[in-house]
Amino acid sequence: MNTTNVHETGSVKDYFSAMLEGITSTVKGMWITFRYVWAVKPVSIEYPEIREVLPERSRMRLFNDALNCISCTQCAMACPVDCIYIASEKMPEGAEIKKTSNGQPIRLLLTQFVIDTALCCYCGLCTTVCPTECLTHSHDYEFSQYTIDGMKYDYLAPDVIAWRDRIVKS
Amino acid sequence: MQSKWDIGEPEKPTVNADTESLKSELLRLNMGPQHPATHGVLRIEIWTDSEVVAHAIPHLGYLHRCMEKHAENLDYRGIIPFVDRLDYLAAMNMEWTYAMTIEKMLGTEIPRRAELLRILVGELQRIASHLMAFGTYALDLGAFTPFLYAFEEREKVLRLFEEVSGSRLLYNYIWIGGVWNDFTDAQLDRVSDFCDTMEVEAKKYNELVSNNKIFIERTANVGVMSIQDCFDYGATGPVLRGSGFKWDLRKNQPYSLYSEFDFEVPVGDGAQGVVGDCWNRYMVRMKEVVESIKIVRQVLKKLEPGPIMGKVPKIIKLPKGEVYFKAECPRGELAFHLVSEGDSKVPYRLKVKSPCFTHVSMLPHIAPGQMIADFVASVGSIDIVLGEVDR
Repeated sequence: MNTTNVHETGSVKDYFSAMLEGITSTVKGMWITFRYVWAVKPVSIEYPEIREVLPERSRMRLFNDALNCISCTQCAMACPVDCIYIASEKMPEGAEIKKTSNGQPIRLLLTQFVIDTALCCYCGLCTTVCPTECLTHSHDYEFSQYTIDGMKYDYLAPDVIAWRDRIVKS
Repeated sequence: MQSKWDIGEPEKPTVNADTESLKSELLRLNMGPQHPATHGVLRIEIWTDSEVVAHAIPHLGYLHRCMEKHAENLDYRGIIPFVDRLDYLAAMNMEWTYAMTIEKMLGTEIPRRAELLRILVGELQRIASHLMAFGTYALDLGAFTPFLYAFEEREKVLRLFEEVSGSRLLYNYIWIGGVWNDFTDAQLDRVSDFCDTMEVEAKKYNELVSNNKIFIERTANVGVMSIQDCFDYGATGPVLRGSGFKWDLRKNQPYSLYSEFDFEVPVGDGAQGVVGDCWNRYMVRMKEVVESIKIVRQVLKKLEPGPIMGKVPKIIKLPKGEVYFKAECPRGELAFHLVSEGDSKVPYRLKVKSPCFTHVSMLPHIAPGQMIADFVASVGSIDIVLGEVDR
């Protein structure tokens, strides 16, 4: 057991020199802070009014461009928290086989593409494996919800598909 | 013969004069789990005698996320986001150590540029982590301003990491075999600028906090850990070096390319107080910031264009066997013990040896005899991150 709080009693000279040292070092520190009054520009941003432009690679809410998805389920396999739910079925007979923007044929009919954003850990592993680059991290970061079910995004719903015009560049 | 004035023995008074029941006992206090001085969700049960701590018992587990068990069901790339969340203030060093563990088992060769970029981000992360330690330590002791100054500089590092990796705190930047993205020349210039400003800032912090008389009075001679204590408990990192023992894995068992770099290993010198007290542990961190700046400058000189990803199979399967790898992180030596069954995409067992856990176990040793306010200073000086303690 070590007792470290022994206040040793010194001479009167020590007492006053310690006091002087305390005052001078405090004044020094105060001078450093006082310089911030005029010499340093403020660095903080008043958030809701002024917004920072996010860097290009920022990983925010996921967006899947369902028109380009080939239902390969590689993203669901790579996801460490299993928050991507994909279902697909065979194309109906005689349906026209569309192609994705980079030329891959879409052979399966995507029937479900849901991401539980509440589970998502924004690690970016799913976007790196996507062969058609349809799954991307958008720059939306304000999507708080009142219920946890609201965090599940169905990327085949028309209102979510409408984000495409805003997020995907041409 | 009985006198008429004799009324016999006086009756015992019935008020509480029973001296045996007037004993003193220790007061039990809970510090945490939501206490600003515990840096997370650590609950310390302290038994106090007036204001002096008699015992302190840390209770862990409030941030337990079963990371080691999760890892047994994840492929080797998928573990990296979980490893990030161990020490969320130094996530780069965490994933770097993990990546080196896997690469040691795979025998992957890392391109030189990737290795240098790893050292670059690792040292920048060390600076950011020590800035956080500096800011919150001053905050524990009642100074609010240094915290804001430290965050201003830390923000520059985080902003750079955000541009490079895409995330501010949990990067997933260092991959098995290399790094994810390359730095552009403009970003490297910003790193160089950051080194220049950080050197000036480090001097300012020393003037503002380290040499302040009030700060010295609060931290010097408080929470002394001798070298023998550190050996007994297995302390590493700044706690061990603050006690005056020169041990740094980057110097003593160089991994990566650290043997090419020229830097000092700062140890507690007892300029104020005695070696091994809170002030010396704190000062080791402040000196390490300067040493990290030196390393970053050398990296910038050595960087040459080249590939940033080595050859790694698409599905990683490790051979049968086990590996133990340790590296120097801002808070001490982090080690991974990985057991692989062979021909499997998932590890059989991944054990994390975390430095903060051993440091927390030292608290019951240093607490007895301290005032409560000094105990707060002791908890802050070992700079724990609970994500790493509980895992």
